[in-house]
Amino acid sequence: MIANATGLSKKKVEQLIATNNAILRENLMSGKAVQLQGLGTLEVKAKREREIVHPRTGERAVVPSKNQLVFRPVAHIKDELKKI
Amino acid sequence: MAENKLSWTELRRALANRAGVSEKEANLFLQAFNAQLIEALKQDKQVKINGLGIFRLQAVAPRKSVNVSSGEEITIEGYNKIAFMPEAGVKELVEKGTVARNENVASLREEIDPLVKLGAQADEIVGILGELGQKPGDVQGTKDDVKDDVRRTMYEGPEIPEEPEIPETPESPENPETPESPENPESPEEPESPENPETPEEPEEPVKPEVSETPEMPTPQESTPEKPKYHFMRDTLICVVVLLMLLLVGYFFLRHELSGWINDFANGQPKTENVQGDNVQSTMYEVPSDKVPGDKVPGDEAPSVEEELLLTEEITEGSRLAWIAKKHYGNKVYWPYLYEANKDRITNPSKIAIGTPIRVPKLTAAQRDTTSAEFQALRERAYAATEE
Repeated sequence: MIANATGLSKKKVEQLIATNNAILRENLMSGKAVQLQGLGTLEVKAKREREIVHPRTGERAVVPSKNQLVFRPVAHIKDELKKI
Repeated sequence: MAENKLSWTELRRALANRAGVSEKEANLFLQAFNAQLIEALKQDKQVKINGLGIFRLQAVAPRKSVNVSSGEEITIEGYNKIAFMPEAGVKELVEKGTVARNENVASLREEIDPLVKLGAQADEIVGILGELGQKPGDVQGTKDDVKDDVRRTMYEGPEIPEEPEIPETPESPENPETPESPENPESPEEPESPENPETPEEPEEPVKPEVSETPEMPTPQESTPEKPKYHFMRDTLICVVVLLMLLLVGYFFLRHELSGWINDFANGQPKTENVQGDNVQSTMYEVPSDKVPGDKVPGDEAPSVEEELLLTEEITEGSRLAWIAKKHYGNKVYWPYLYEANKDRITNPSKIAIGTPIRVPKLTAAQRDTTSAEFQALRERAYAATEE
């Protein structure tokens, strides 16, 4: 599909996708957010550790702090996809 | 955040370099890629990108809500949102996220426990106060203190061990400072705000607010300007309130006692001189006294107990029927009448629930005769009830 749209060869597109993903991963790994124009932002968010309570047993446990990969869509994409 | 974000152009450039294509081509590819992603999302609701993760359209169900200003119920319509779930490998990578995580955690730590910082700040303050007389140092000190205060309000718990340190620190460095000017020795002892402007020293002024800010908590040595006043005001207020309450209690007590005495005095011996007692009663409670001579027929007794009410009174804590009887009839021996009048509410006269309203009937002269057979019977019944 992308090959058709861009006029690039299928092989090249595949290669591009792979490298693209690699770049994204590397940047995200180092805590960098990646802006995808016309789409949104992929970013790493640090979640604080929090306490949870088991609803039935009432046990308390602590969820350790962690990093999470979060995608934030651009506003117009968000709106567009809202109504489908 | 700006330097912590890979912009579109940077991504494009990196991609072009890595894949060995021109920037133009890379751009073309990326745009097509994104467009394709959105299209696919629209069609299939889910797009998997190998080596990255899954974009998915998630439906949010419509839910009910309430308009905050008008209180109306409204429905928030359902919509779709994009959820991104990273691939397991990517997730782990991010989780390990070496640099970022450490930084983030460190920053979080700073926010979470101010104790470390507080300690550092306390040291700083000590140093600053030690070098008093230097303006910049003072200004910073105040800033730190403001921070301190904010922290303190936010985290009251962990600071407590810190408290004793802070009030001490401002005191000790201040003393060496005092000989600098003749008027200063006064200020630490009675630090009232009007005295400060008199001191010719400029650095003194920035110090004062600082000092007043630091020992906010109740500490043994309070050299702050506001604190003693505040305490004085509060103490006097408390004193006044306590005095007022004492007066009120005393007043009520005296009144009851006095009324009791008056009745006793008027009755002399309540058993014999009933008519007089009733007269006093009637004047006191504004009950028509025309009944006094007439109601000596024993048949009238029962209805009169129930019909003619002086008033009703609520049982309070520590109160009892005998007490009420003494209050209203002048003698506690008449309490069985109260029991009789409130039989429907009282089962055991010695155990009455607090707040029970007690009807206090008017007593006739005949009823005041404690030697009468009726009264004896009534009293026996009442006493029997206490045994229940």
